[in-house]
Amino acid sequence: MDIRSFTERLFAKGREHDFQDMEVYVASRNQFRVGLFKTEIDNYTLAESRGLSFRGIINGGMGYSFTENFDDDSIDILIRDAAENARVIDSGDEEEIFAGSPQYVELDSYSVELDKVGAAEKIAWSRTLEQAVYSVDSRVFTAQVSMGNGSGETVIINTKGLTLSHKGNFAQGFVSVVVKEGEDTKSAYGFVADRDFSKLNAEKLAQKTVEEAVSLLGAEPVESGTYTVVLRNDVAASFLATFASSFSAEAAQKGMSLLKGRVGEMIMSPNITITDDPHMLERPGSAPFDAEGVATKAKNVVDGGNLTTLLHNLKTAKKDGVLPTGNAYKVAYNAPVGVAPSNLYINIGDKSYDELVQEMVSGLVIISVQGTHSGANPVSGDFSLSAYGYVIDNGQVVRPVNQITIAGNFFTMLSDVTAVGNDVDFGTGTIGSPSLLIGSLAVAGK
Amino acid sequence: MLSIPLLDDIIAAALSTGGDFAEVFVEDRFSTALNMVGGKIDSAVSGREYGVGVRIFQGNNYVYAYSNDYSRDNLIKVAKEAAAALPGVSSGMTLSFMKHATPKVNVIGILPHEVDKQRKVALMARAYFVAKDYDPIISQVTVRYLDEDQHVQIANSTGLLVEDRRVRTRTAITAIASKGPEKQSGFYGPGAHMGFEFYDKINIDDYAREAARIATTMIHADYSPSGRIPVIIDNEFGGVIFHEACGHSLEATSVAKKTSVFADKVGEKIAADIVSAVDDGTIPNAWGSLNVDDEGHATQRNLLIENGILRGYMIDQLNGRRMGMPATGNSRRQSYKFAPTSRMTNTFILPGRHTRDEIIANTEYGLFARYMGGGSVNPATGDFNFAVNEGYLVRNGKIDKPVRGATLIGRGSEVLLKIDMIADNLSCGQGMCGSVSGSLPADVGQPTLRVSEITVGGRKGDK
Repeated sequence: MDIRSFTERLFAKGREHDFQDMEVYVASRNQFRVGLFKTEIDNYTLAESRGLSFRGIINGGMGYSFTENFDDDSIDILIRDAAENARVIDSGDEEEIFAGSPQYVELDSYSVELDKVGAAEKIAWSRTLEQAVYSVDSRVFTAQVSMGNGSGETVIINTKGLTLSHKGNFAQGFVSVVVKEGEDTKSAYGFVADRDFSKLNAEKLAQKTVEEAVSLLGAEPVESGTYTVVLRNDVAASFLATFASSFSAEAAQKGMSLLKGRVGEMIMSPNITITDDPHMLERPGSAPFDAEGVATKAKNVVDGGNLTTLLHNLKTAKKDGVLPTGNAYKVAYNAPVGVAPSNLYINIGDKSYDELVQEMVSGLVIISVQGTHSGANPVSGDFSLSAYGYVIDNGQVVRPVNQITIAGNFFTMLSDVTAVGNDVDFGTGTIGSPSLLIGSLAVAGK
Repeated sequence: MLSIPLLDDIIAAALSTGGDFAEVFVEDRFSTALNMVGGKIDSAVSGREYGVGVRIFQGNNYVYAYSNDYSRDNLIKVAKEAAAALPGVSSGMTLSFMKHATPKVNVIGILPHEVDKQRKVALMARAYFVAKDYDPIISQVTVRYLDEDQHVQIANSTGLLVEDRRVRTRTAITAIASKGPEKQSGFYGPGAHMGFEFYDKINIDDYAREAARIATTMIHADYSPSGRIPVIIDNEFGGVIFHEACGHSLEATSVAKKTSVFADKVGEKIAADIVSAVDDGTIPNAWGSLNVDDEGHATQRNLLIENGILRGYMIDQLNGRRMGMPATGNSRRQSYKFAPTSRMTNTFILPGRHTRDEIIANTEYGLFARYMGGGSVNPATGDFNFAVNEGYLVRNGKIDKPVRGATLIGRGSEVLLKIDMIADNLSCGQGMCGSVSGSLPADVGQPTLRVSEITVGGRKGDK
């Protein structure tokens, strides 16, 4: 099925039904994944999918609809649904179909080489990873290994003459490990991602993940109280991801962000600078244009603790009387346009992770938090999260700790950052941070 | 839906190598999502998802492929590519489909597309104004309305051919109370495997009022203390504790690989004697109910725990092979984009002999978790965490002041043994459960119950 001819027929039908400006947003994906469990390929997935989202202005309102079926009936359904949906919208916000930015960066996010890597090579890589996991430590009980790669293309075509497309691909290796010593069971997971298949290091991933799981054997809670804490880089990144919606102008305008009306104010420690950079080639959140076709750009959201801007799409920018920041975002091709960061990260400081731990002298290193979707309130910044990590005394790891919670407020915590590491990590994808030394956090344990 | 000759050819292509079982899943889903903020609809989206998934088994392993190009040539190509991943040659089976009648557990009254969107908007507006007008401290209310009409066709190489239609609707209300820079939210999201007649069976006002009451209560609440204390978990959505801490570990997904703490423990005591629990996909029109599961098998009422003894697991076909046990009608997937696996439907703890009042009166000091939020669990260790959306301290057998920001953490296997009182007021609440085969509607439920000791995390160290 040819998207362009489908789109032409769709726009023609739309005009017949009194739509003025119209747009399609098409996302196509190809995915491969192979999983190993105890030397057998226990799952293997091949996928291709395409979804088209339509929106158009009719009687002054914007209507949305979507389809994954491209027969002629679907054109009628798309037009009917969008017209109906436009009728019920009454937010009064003016939405527009965008005619285009003056220029877009060239961003080469697609590797022809990666798509040439065959299934056999990926299976071989997974086998290497699995063997490495079991050979690192005899206490490895089970491991689930998987390797996958995906490519995606996003196309925007509208009646204002804009045609944009962007293609990207990525490969990712993943392992989750369960280690056992007597009745004591601990787990850890890790992954590596790159566009260059040869850079995926299976042995290193196995080593790191198993070492982490083993290091947690024998963990016990600490006494409840207030502790100085180092949030390891991936944990700090997971906090930033949880509360990133605070930087959305959409959330602010809806009364769902504490940062509403605070641009220009100090909201964090002076050692915190947060950047949103959509042009990092090695990161999956990169693209030359956002979900509305606006050119993306890098900018600091927080500069030395000072809130410099919120993130905007066309609608929120118009409402606040500012320029859009290129942060229009769709959670999925068929979701309405919202606001989200691209690649968002806390800038590095000058201390290594080890130096941060030594500087803390005594306290806790947190290497994982759980339940950020439920134990953290992105609106208030409050959190109370299950956590584990290590007890530190005299700058040295004394023992592992688990079955504790750490509680506080995200903004208060980032105002209490006494040192910033130089070890930025992007956790599970597009949001990154170095390790952070926090003055104090409430810990519940024994 | 696909024609029988085409299904035949896809399955033949899927079994052209060493596969011993093949299945085709066709999905055509229409859905509508409306979002209201500040009393106005700010987004309205509807559309159609469509795709075909092909799954092949060889022994205990599987290959899954999907596409939404449903042309004959492409589907045969997809099946062949999937088959190519498996070694071996075809055993050359012949096929004849037996179309199975679908049990009608969930009778649908009013199909969502027959209802004008303005009526859906009017329902949302009612919820909005009831919540907004509850108290001047309510600063914002969002109402989200969803409905979906999913048609599925499932065919497999044993000759099974089933079609089903699943219709669901849900309205989720979030009320936010503000005091200076502080914000607290209250949530309620009733839903059912039902058409628009659901809203004649419930009064949406009650749910809106409850969401607003929770937010209003919590904005005035002090931070929760922390420590290991008795916790009384109220009925309905309180069942999320069992869902997360035990339910997931009873899914064959983790049991078959023996990564679950409950693997190989059928017949053993895993919970306090007063605990019995089931997973029941057959409750008419319940949120997590199904006529048939996503492998085409009728759903069942499965006894999981009886008087503290583990009686069974929730099992899909593939894990059933791995475990040497029959499937239990629990195989589910979010859409054709996921291979199905064992998942919960409506999972709950059965009623006990106390009353809620008796439980509270018998508790000298503890936390009363009236509404739970979501949580998660590590299936390997059983470590869980839950947020308490509305909590109170209990002192001297009476509910004392409300507390906010409490989190419950612990290990499922330990908590089950520490349940020491169960009330008689079983009810269920609606949730979306996320796991390997995607995000699925599931009911959680329980009567009010007490756990003698759980670690409560909060911002205040003292009691």
